[in-house]
Amino acid sequence: MTNNRRRFDISLLALTLTLITIGLLAIYSAGGGRYLLRQLIFVPIGFFGIFLFFLLPRRILYGLTEPLYALTLLLLIAVLFLGTGPGARRWFQIGSFSLQPSEFAKITVTLMLAKYLSYKREIKPNFASLAGPILIMVIPLLLILLEPDLSTALCLVPPFAAMLYWQGLRPLHILLLFMPFLSFAAGFSLYLWIPFFVFLAVLVFLRMRFFRAIAALATGTVFGLLSPVVLSLLKDYQRTRLISFFAPWFDPHGMGWNAIQSQIAIGSGRLLGKGFLHGTQKRLGFLPNRHTDFIFSAIAEETGFIGSLLLLLVIGFLIRRILLIAYNSRDKNASLIAIGFAAILFYQAFVNIGMLLGLLPITGVTLPFISYGGSSLLTCCLMIGLVLNISAQPE
Amino acid sequence: MKNRLKRLTGIIIILFGILSLRLSYLQLIRGARYARLSDRNRIRKIVLPAPRGRIYDRNGVLLADTRPSFTVTVIPTETNDSALTLLASLINLPFAELKRRLEPIVAFPSPVTIYRNADPTIVARIQENNFRLPGVLIRIDPVRNYPYHELYSHTIGHLGEVTEEELAKDSTYRRLDFVGRTGVEASYEKVLRGKDGYEFVEVDARGREIGPLAEKRPEPPIPGKDIYLTIDHRLQNLAAELTKNYDRAAVVGISVKNGAIICLLSRPQFDPNIFFSTINPSFWKNLVNNPSKPFYNRAISSGYPPGSTFKPLVALAALKDHIVTPTTTLLPCTGTFRYGNRTFKCWSTHGTLNLLGAIEQSCNVYFYQLGLRLSIDSLTEFCQRLGLGKPTGIDIPGESPGNIPSREYLDRRYGKGKWTRGTMLNFAIGQGEIMLTPLQLATLYCCIANEGYYYRPFLVSHIDSAGIRVKVTQPTRIDVSINKQDLMQVKKALTRVVQFGTGRAAQHNEITIAGKTGTAQNPPRPDHAWFVGYAPAEAPEVVFAVLVENAGHGGAVAAPIVGELIRAYFSSYDE
Repeated sequence: MTNNRRRFDISLLALTLTLITIGLLAIYSAGGGRYLLRQLIFVPIGFFGIFLFFLLPRRILYGLTEPLYALTLLLLIAVLFLGTGPGARRWFQIGSFSLQPSEFAKITVTLMLAKYLSYKREIKPNFASLAGPILIMVIPLLLILLEPDLSTALCLVPPFAAMLYWQGLRPLHILLLFMPFLSFAAGFSLYLWIPFFVFLAVLVFLRMRFFRAIAALATGTVFGLLSPVVLSLLKDYQRTRLISFFAPWFDPHGMGWNAIQSQIAIGSGRLLGKGFLHGTQKRLGFLPNRHTDFIFSAIAEETGFIGSLLLLLVIGFLIRRILLIAYNSRDKNASLIAIGFAAILFYQAFVNIGMLLGLLPITGVTLPFISYGGSSLLTCCLMIGLVLNISAQPE
Repeated sequence: MKNRLKRLTGIIIILFGILSLRLSYLQLIRGARYARLSDRNRIRKIVLPAPRGRIYDRNGVLLADTRPSFTVTVIPTETNDSALTLLASLINLPFAELKRRLEPIVAFPSPVTIYRNADPTIVARIQENNFRLPGVLIRIDPVRNYPYHELYSHTIGHLGEVTEEELAKDSTYRRLDFVGRTGVEASYEKVLRGKDGYEFVEVDARGREIGPLAEKRPEPPIPGKDIYLTIDHRLQNLAAELTKNYDRAAVVGISVKNGAIICLLSRPQFDPNIFFSTINPSFWKNLVNNPSKPFYNRAISSGYPPGSTFKPLVALAALKDHIVTPTTTLLPCTGTFRYGNRTFKCWSTHGTLNLLGAIEQSCNVYFYQLGLRLSIDSLTEFCQRLGLGKPTGIDIPGESPGNIPSREYLDRRYGKGKWTRGTMLNFAIGQGEIMLTPLQLATLYCCIANEGYYYRPFLVSHIDSAGIRVKVTQPTRIDVSINKQDLMQVKKALTRVVQFGTGRAAQHNEITIAGKTGTAQNPPRPDHAWFVGYAPAEAPEVVFAVLVENAGHGGAVAAPIVGELIRAYFSSYDE
């Protein structure tokens, strides 16, 4: 045990606490005292989560993986019938708090994938090798899609891809795995699909044998052609709904209002920012959901380029720390878990900030540790707890 | 492993690098501009209302369009209570109501519509007080305009302000928007409405607009699609002219060859333009409390006893059941008919007639005798086969199914076995519980004219979007199994009705008109006058059904109206 304690990763904990503190300050500035108080209730719960997963013997968690995964599926099904939420069924309302099972699915799916992949010696680009992991990821993904919550559902894909890569699958094969869906989504607009097709063609002809390349290209084409066919079968309003769901970036009339507001807030921060509590955009209420998905805009407005860059660096170091822990762990299962978590945190941070900067479509992805919300904070804390556990005890 | 760690780190650095580059672009390069825009959030979102689609008649006569009107709007974030108090007094609106209209405060400074179709005096008053009314803007919006006023009140229908329930259901509507309530305006609401556009403009510190926002392209409004009706404006106008001396009347004209409605009129009418103006309360009260119910579409929503216009149908049912042949004579008409201890009257003394003669002279006594021999089930079945007793399916809302009493209906109404064959006597002359709308009678005669089929009546012939035809109504043919020989005999009788019988007032020099009069009893008030006719008798093109409430004899009142309409119909098409 003494030997293990030495490995306790103090810098990871410090980075985490830094992010949580930034989040609290930002929530206070953007949402006011009411939201800060509510979020403060979740902070001890988050700390408890960190220590719980830090102290929990991983063997127990390993043994519990399947039951936890099954429980997640049950909750995801139950939320479809019992859940609440505006326009979708995403949360269980428990008293004045709400619980979002799709958040916890991120953890259990990663655990399940890690367990499955860890006793596979080698992963090959064939059906027998990939059917298992795909099923593990796709079933909860489809259930979350039914809520419907596309942006959370997509959060399951990066850990899946990263873990397959970590386990030795070539990036080309991972890309080909997702190609049909990418092609279908790109198919909503020719302007998107043509560059996609060209990119795919160049890639497969450079990296694959001729006939396989042709087959891959043909598959992509079929899926790409499928979307206009599907669209033509739908009524007008169904078509708009489908496009805005699967391809929110396909906005024929240019950038959305929220994106502009967010960019004005960020841009007006300039080099040094307007100062803590001095943001004007968020105070006037022009920023939508300013304490949740749009909190980075408020931070960037008040702390400017320097502050935003520092925040990016903190997040980057945190993820780099987790990657190193994964690399140093000799426990294959634990290593995969850490990779999966790193992928989730990185994906969410990148998508959240990218959409606020106007680089990506606006979707409902939270900024880890910083956005207001209990489920999101607790999920992130549990991940960190487990990664600390991994770094401390190489089982 | 080492390689993969390096690559993953590389991906993180590249992607976060992209974010940093974008950050530096927004904050360092474009920072000054965004700082200026955010200074007092100098962007305003302006709604560009979509003009509603136009409505034309079959020859391109414009029946409904939009005209510019003044709209008073308020930007909630730029105004204050003292300005609102002043505004409330200027537009004669309670302050609380004004506040309520501002309620859906949106997250950005966007003008909220407060008062539509403001008259110029109000606009002038607001402009005079401009300096005391920060955040109050006058905008010019398209508003519905009906150049022919009341002429199409029931066909095109009218608009009404959107209700709270509709707002809750469909978020694309905004407060004070107008929605189709009746007629084509209602059934084609989605087609006519179009889609509002948006524009983002930059404003200076004093709230004056500088120009469009470069970052956001305006989304132009998509005007509603244009609708072409099957209505012929000339005939509609004439129908109104011919019925102008009657309080309550209905006129339906249908093209026999495809079901296109060429004229649809209900009296009394109202001017649908009134919904866009400040209505004089007493005027409104008169309209709503008018016992003749001006909002009621008598042509499609009101069932009337069809009277003698129903007789050809009874004749066909009797022929089908082989109760009579066209030449069968029954007991002579002495002006009355005794059944049980009741005396049923005829309108004249006709002596001995055969079936065709009985139709021609509209002899009740002959039809009483048919009624006694007909089975109720057979008659009900025959009516239903012709589509009576249910809506015809015309493409505007509010259609009544009419009433075709069945055995079950009579049992329910009078008690099992409590009704007698006396009821059938009444049915045989189109009285009693039988109720048909003028539209149903018109389609019935289309079926007779076509010898066994008719088309579902429709009002919209095609829809254009920006000058391009996007939809054309395909006529729906409905076949009815009726013996063609029987139909030809009845048609012969209908021709004689106009030549020699009760419908002589509908005669025309060159065109043979066929039809049937009806005088529907409506005790204790005067009879309703009916005439349904088609022409030319040899090769029918058009059917007109005219009903005039409480106006007396169909032959005297309704037949000449149909005659005039048919005359006009052929003169306009022969030219």
